[in-house]
Amino acid sequence: MAADVTKGTVQPDLDFIRMLKKSGGDTLKKCMQCANCSVACPLAPDSRPFPRKEMIWAQWGLKDKLISNPDVWLCHQCNDCSVQCPRGAKPGDVLAAIRNMAIGEFAFMKPLAKIVRDKAKLPVLFAIPTVVLLLTLLVTGKLFGFGEGDEVAFSKMFSIPVIDVVFIPLFLLVVFAAGKGVMSFWGALETADAKVGKKRYIKPSPFDFVKYYILPVLGDIITHTRFAKCGGNKSRYTAHLGIFFGFMGLFLVANIDAVTHNLGFHTPYPMLSPPKFIGNLSALALGIGMLLVIFKRKKDEAEGTQVGSYADWSLIWMIVAVTVTGIVSEVTRLIGIGFVAYPVYFAHLVFVFCLFLYLPYSKLAHMVYRTTAMVYAKYTGRE
Amino acid sequence: MDKKCGVYICTGCGIGKALDIERLSKLPGKDYNVEVCKTHEFCCGPEGVEQIKKDITGEGVNTIVVAGCSMRVNQDVFDFGPDKIVERVNLREQVVWCQEPAKEKTETEEEIREGVDLHIQFLAEDYLRMGIVRAQKSELPEPYMLESLSKRILVMGGGVTGLTAAVEAAKAGYDVTIAEKGPSLGGYAGKLRKQVAASHPYADLEEPIVQDIITAAQSNPKIELKTNTVVARIAGQPGEFTVTFKKPGEEIEFDVPQIVEQTHDEEGKELTKEQIDEIYAELNKGRADILTLDPDGQKFGAVVLATGWKPYDASEFANLGFGKYKNVITNAMMEEIAAKGNIVRPSDGKEAKSVVFIQNPKKGDDSDFPFGSSVTSLVALKQAKYVREDDSEAKAYIIYQHMRTPGLYENFYKNMQDDDGIFMTKGSVASIAEGADGNLLVEVEDNLIGETIKIDADMIVLAAGMVPTTKDDPVVNLAYRQGPGFRDIGLFDGYADSNFICFPYETQRTGIYAAGCVRQALTIGECIEDATGAALKAIQCIDSVNRGVSVHPRSGDMTFPDFFFSRCTQCKRCTEECPFGALDDDEKGTPKPNPARCRRCGTCMGACPERIIGFADYNIDMIGSMIKAIEVPTDDDYDPVPLRVVVLVCENDAYPAVDMAGMNGLKYSPMVRFIPVRCLGSVNTVWIKDALSSGLDGVLLLGCQYGDDYQCHFIKGSELCNRRMENVAETLKSLALESERVELQQVAINEYDKIPGIINKFMETIDEVGPNPFKGF
Repeated sequence: MAADVTKGTVQPDLDFIRMLKKSGGDTLKKCMQCANCSVACPLAPDSRPFPRKEMIWAQWGLKDKLISNPDVWLCHQCNDCSVQCPRGAKPGDVLAAIRNMAIGEFAFMKPLAKIVRDKAKLPVLFAIPTVVLLLTLLVTGKLFGFGEGDEVAFSKMFSIPVIDVVFIPLFLLVVFAAGKGVMSFWGALETADAKVGKKRYIKPSPFDFVKYYILPVLGDIITHTRFAKCGGNKSRYTAHLGIFFGFMGLFLVANIDAVTHNLGFHTPYPMLSPPKFIGNLSALALGIGMLLVIFKRKKDEAEGTQVGSYADWSLIWMIVAVTVTGIVSEVTRLIGIGFVAYPVYFAHLVFVFCLFLYLPYSKLAHMVYRTTAMVYAKYTGRE
Repeated sequence: MDKKCGVYICTGCGIGKALDIERLSKLPGKDYNVEVCKTHEFCCGPEGVEQIKKDITGEGVNTIVVAGCSMRVNQDVFDFGPDKIVERVNLREQVVWCQEPAKEKTETEEEIREGVDLHIQFLAEDYLRMGIVRAQKSELPEPYMLESLSKRILVMGGGVTGLTAAVEAAKAGYDVTIAEKGPSLGGYAGKLRKQVAASHPYADLEEPIVQDIITAAQSNPKIELKTNTVVARIAGQPGEFTVTFKKPGEEIEFDVPQIVEQTHDEEGKELTKEQIDEIYAELNKGRADILTLDPDGQKFGAVVLATGWKPYDASEFANLGFGKYKNVITNAMMEEIAAKGNIVRPSDGKEAKSVVFIQNPKKGDDSDFPFGSSVTSLVALKQAKYVREDDSEAKAYIIYQHMRTPGLYENFYKNMQDDDGIFMTKGSVASIAEGADGNLLVEVEDNLIGETIKIDADMIVLAAGMVPTTKDDPVVNLAYRQGPGFRDIGLFDGYADSNFICFPYETQRTGIYAAGCVRQALTIGECIEDATGAALKAIQCIDSVNRGVSVHPRSGDMTFPDFFFSRCTQCKRCTEECPFGALDDDEKGTPKPNPARCRRCGTCMGACPERIIGFADYNIDMIGSMIKAIEVPTDDDYDPVPLRVVVLVCENDAYPAVDMAGMNGLKYSPMVRFIPVRCLGSVNTVWIKDALSSGLDGVLLLGCQYGDDYQCHFIKGSELCNRRMENVAETLKSLALESERVELQQVAINEYDKIPGIINKFMETIDEVGPNPFKGF
């Protein structure tokens, strides 16, 4: 009898509420459900709009409902809602905190997730790639010197094949971990919908799925169409576009390097060669984008419309570190100051390694989860 | 008093321009032999006032008629001392500001200044006539003084309100007696674990503060404390109430007599007077009559009623499992548990870790529990916090339709809401089921979460309301002929308050001032404020009685109803109709006036068929004479004959509305003449007869809205008048007059824009009915 009574009851999760409050959602209890936020939001759909309902779910600590909800990912955090909120509940920040919690929840290899999300574990976070790269140097016999010569060339320290040997498995590991996370997220989304009787009975073929759901979403992401709809977001839109294309460019160049190397080309490429040109342009876009992000965040935090969490700032400084070390190493290489260029390059590799390894657990994971949620929304007709 | 009348016509504010002043100023002398009649272009200015004062000293003028602005303005300017009669004639708001000069010149043989409209001139002349008549019929009032006056204040109820009222009254220098029914002081406020904050910022729970107030009361030598004491009866009137105390449950000779509520016997036949007397005698066997004063009774000047509230009996809410499941309790029961220690549930004494607070009893209906209020919302928040204070992992749910936290109590809401473990949603409780271990399953529909949810609860707390103690019990036990309680208390759901909005603290019995939860559900902080207000009202009452003037709402009025008893037929109508129970008839039925209980509305005067009741400056003859002073044109002189309608207008709300219509330049027919009355309840039907028999074409009565949302200063004036007018209609028919000639309209003080519509519509009706056939007789 007693068991029957508790079946299917709501179970507010107090720990979840406390965690949300700690990770940037400290204002969540202030919501009085007036729904100004949902009206202010330029992206919320007409039916069951967000973030009003997410706010009460958060107040009630309904973790399962929140993390298996595509809506929190459909938000691009323009913070119009937080500006309009009459109670200072900052729904924009609360959704960000929920997203952060969701990333942790669906993470494959949770210990890594813990390292990323805990400020106290910052040394461990850097120690892992440092140790791996030092070991690599040890194995290749270059830990205590590698015949620097006159010309500074990073391939003398880490040859392209060595980089490939380290980073390609790392890349595959990250793809696998992110994939696992995305799969459990998708599963949770479907389960949640099935619970309220929503189910898609006729499944599209994989080809159709890609054609009708994935490609349009990717198109949207490349053009940042949804992002642009966020009214209060003009400067963030520009910044995000810069960072996005910066990363895309650098990723492309890295791949070109890996391929061309096998064709017999040797790095470093001349400044005016297409890969180098694209790489430098991308670094510039990334740098400008990051500067914009930092200014905008500082301003919003000063005005009180946004609260920066550890998840936000750790990623920001990580990308800044990658950008700065990248540029400094290139410049010192060109000038020929080897004793600066090489250590900075090493640091650059450590940061890049971090960015990669921790992608499925840091805020950067939004690129896979948000994409998944957008595909799911399209797939279930929620737009 | 030998009257010497002086008439002063002001020509300012457009009056001189619109009227033939020369012609007007000849009228007092010609028609009323008034020797002194002067004009001034600025009567309310220093020179104008000086002119009057000079005549007072030089000519011996003591009855002053000022024709100019409304009686509602410049009262202080035209105050020439208590030994002068001042009458005001409203030529401004009700003549020149509300009239449009006619475009066509009326063919007449009257001599009138060029450019003046004859009808407007007639209107002004009629008002001047009525003003002079009124002044001539007015007498200087003499105050009604009690032989002996007690300034002691009785406070009924020793809770936070009663104690505060006592302490505040004592601080102001008055002696106070507190009568508390229970064995100890503090009332409900003394039985709490914690209270909602009573001071700024009103954000948190705080330790009950009532102990401090108890100490203050106990240590004050001006305060006498009586516990285990109830009031058996309060006899007499403010300033000299005779109060008999007794122990709760005791039966004594001076227990207050009950009234017979039965009107029909078992067979449905109406009871005769003798039968009712018999039932009354049986019912009150061994009890002294209301007119017998207890020789051992204690004297009091005024009473503060602070008897508080009782928890609502929730047993009707079986749908919520109350009475069926042990762990469904009310908020009052919850408070009791919380005050004892940890929150444990009744069924097995287990600590309740999941508590659901239900604010609305019915599914699909957003009404609160009966007598629910903002206080029950605040209490739910407070008790939810108890649950959380005892265990940081416990959960408290509040399911509401209304979360009322008015004013700064919003801070309290915000603070409680901030607690991680307090979960709130608007929602409707669909069902409650019990499990084997006593746990309860609450199903909540239509909530903000977006789907029906089920909550596993250890305990459920219902937000039962706070029932005023006066709901089913007279409490005050007044030895009044109308009965021991507040007569029309049903209009206020049992709360002892006669008009929440306009007159807080005021009950339907003069000298008895309600405060705290007997008046309105209030928090402790609000009760303290309320008590202070009521204490001040009690003091005001004693002070007014001491000077022989009315307390409220005609504060300072020195007149009181005077009875010409030798013509009284003992019909008891005055006793029955008085809204304040001021009259107690004796065994023969002769009314015994209690002027200190009276509010001077004149309802008795309106009720009396023998017309033996009147005031020094307001009586049957006076208003009748004013009506007769209106000049009625006949068809000998005019074709068509101009109509004449008298409007008896309530001076509390309708008269200001009429003035405002004038101030706003709204225009209406010049055929109407307004006569202010104290209340429509004071309108005697003889005035209607006076009007129609003197050839006036119609009578319009302008009074306040009545019914549930009544606005009458005297509770039932316009309603009573309306009932009387139904009888008048029959009389009219017997005279072959149309009943349409008399009409009652309700108007609120802010509805000045409706005045022209009401008047012009009535004029159309009279136009259709045609002139009064009695004209010229």
